Amino acid sequence: MNVFLDLVAGTLTQGLIYALISYGIFITYKILDFPDLTVDGSFPLGAAVTAVLLTRGAAPWLTLPVAVLIGATAGLCTGLIHVKAGVRDLLAGIITMTALFSINLQLAGSNLTVPRAVDTIFTSRPVMALLGGVPLLYRKLIVSTLLALVIKLILDAYFRTKNGLLLRAVGDNDTLVTTLAVDKGRLKILGLMIANALVALCGCLVCHEQRSFSATMGTGQMVFGLAAVIIGTTIFRRASRVKGTTAAVVGSVIYKAVIQIAISLGLPANLLKLVTAVLFLCILVLGTRQGKGAERRA
Amino acid sequence: MKKTMKAVVCLAMCAVLLFALTACGGSKTAVKSIGINQYGEHASLDNCRIGFLQGLKEAGLEEGKDFTVDYQNAGFDDTVNAQIAASFAANNVDMMVAIATPSAVACFSAAEDKDIPVVFSAISDPVSAGLAEGNITGTSDKLPVEAQLDLIRTLQPDAKTIGIIYTTSEANSVSTIAEYQEKAPSYGFTIDAIGVTAQSEVTQAVDTLLSRNVDLLNNLTDNNVVGVLPAILEKTNEAKIPVYGSEVEQVKIGCVAAAGIDYVQLGIQTGKMAARVLKGEITCANLPFETISEYGIYVNSAALAEMGIALPASVAEKAVESNAA
Repeated sequence: MNVFLDLVAGTLTQGLIYALISYGIFITYKILDFPDLTVDGSFPLGAAVTAVLLTRGAAPWLTLPVAVLIGATAGLCTGLIHVKAGVRDLLAGIITMTALFSINLQLAGSNLTVPRAVDTIFTSRPVMALLGGVPLLYRKLIVSTLLALVIKLILDAYFRTKNGLLLRAVGDNDTLVTTLAVDKGRLKILGLMIANALVALCGCLVCHEQRSFSATMGTGQMVFGLAAVIIGTTIFRRASRVKGTTAAVVGSVIYKAVIQIAISLGLPANLLKLVTAVLFLCILVLGTRQGKGAERRA
Repeated sequence: MKKTMKAVVCLAMCAVLLFALTACGGSKTAVKSIGINQYGEHASLDNCRIGFLQGLKEAGLEEGKDFTVDYQNAGFDDTVNAQIAASFAANNVDMMVAIATPSAVACFSAAEDKDIPVVFSAISDPVSAGLAEGNITGTSDKLPVEAQLDLIRTLQPDAKTIGIIYTTSEANSVSTIAEYQEKAPSYGFTIDAIGVTAQSEVTQAVDTLLSRNVDLLNNLTDNNVVGVLPAILEKTNEAKIPVYGSEVEQVKIGCVAAAGIDYVQLGIQTGKMAARVLKGEITCANLPFETISEYGIYVNSAALAEMGIALPASVAEKAVESNAA
């Protein structure tokens, strides 16, 4: 049973940490209707900065705000390229992502490992003082749960503010925003900054968790985030009271659980992706079916 | 709303069941469980794994009786790679075996909590990857750069410039390029290196090198570049520029020659080290990593003939003919 609990704890930790990416994608894709490819670059950017800071002896918790700031800067670049220079949304993201690849290499090289002797947030003094007796696996689970929850609550609170409501309006009906005498471009930039700050923070946490940065770790993160958001919103499509951020977390956990199941099934290794794809299809079809059944009844 | 909730609960239960079913397999017995995490499918890495299992067998361990193997490969995906390592840790495997640097980094990090021993293979530079100390050991596949330069000089006495394409995000390649640049002058060569970031840029890099009139191309064990070797050879054959490989599999595809290591041999060496740890003779922490010192010379005489390169008798007597055709 212990083995099973460990597997669940490990998978939940992954899902909760990566939920930060799905929050970010939720903002750009669902709210702003902006296909933001910056993610594949800002995710490793957060990890690169973290790995460099940790190996140079910086305090572990300091890396979090730094990653947030630098991620926001990446989002700002995409925003400015799109809004001010008038480059199409997809291409603006691609440009920043491409530039970030070189910047990441320049910052941290192709790989950078954080030695076991260096403290991460999971082994830092405040965490050890509170949870010192808990095994590392569960300490990681507790810390990532808290972080995912706190960030979700902050986002939910922000979406209720006037500025947050305007941001939500940009994606749905940007003419309305303009008639309210608000600059929609500025709101888009703000949304991209928040989203990429979250993505870079995710990269930062992954670096703490895996004690490593690799230049290719960003590949496919945008696809992951999209899948997580779509899975989450499909499952909760009839439950209007469930918040988008909740759907994003659930989607992320399901995604990571599916991969874990595919690994645990012990099938030939080359079938891993195929099994993952089939499981996703089942979830999405099931989710859509449920929705249709409810419609018919109504 | 209720129906949605039902669906979610249903899905969650299915997941739990699947988990439980698969997790039962990991129960503890006297049989040692080994989790092999290979970064992706790739001739050299596969050879390494095959050799590893052979090495365990040669050391007297029998699969099914003394040990069981859970083999996973991440398909060169860093996220899956990390999750495979985490699931090995959760399954309480007795040993993690990591093939290629990213796998080893992920395994060593996942093994931290339970202090599971990690044995790696096919890593060029374990020290700079931070994998030299702790409950970890293995074998390094550092390329015999000087032997390769010597081989090229023997086969092409008049050559001046060596063109090399490498991927800037592959740690193995970056460290090997540095060594080439350092050692090439003493063999009378200059290195013209082009860094690429993706596989799609490799053929453009070949065109660039050909236009700069390099005398030959030389491969590293760069996954990206080796992956499109047939496309490279198509261009270089047309331009009559020979390409040298870094291990036997590349020569089989059509490179003229290589001074490289045999990955099956590297795997066997790794398997024997792992066997000592499994038998309880020594711990990974007390067993320093080993670098394979022997290398083989592999030649493809069909490709050599096409390039008009004669094979001197001194090379021919120790070379292994490696022509897949």
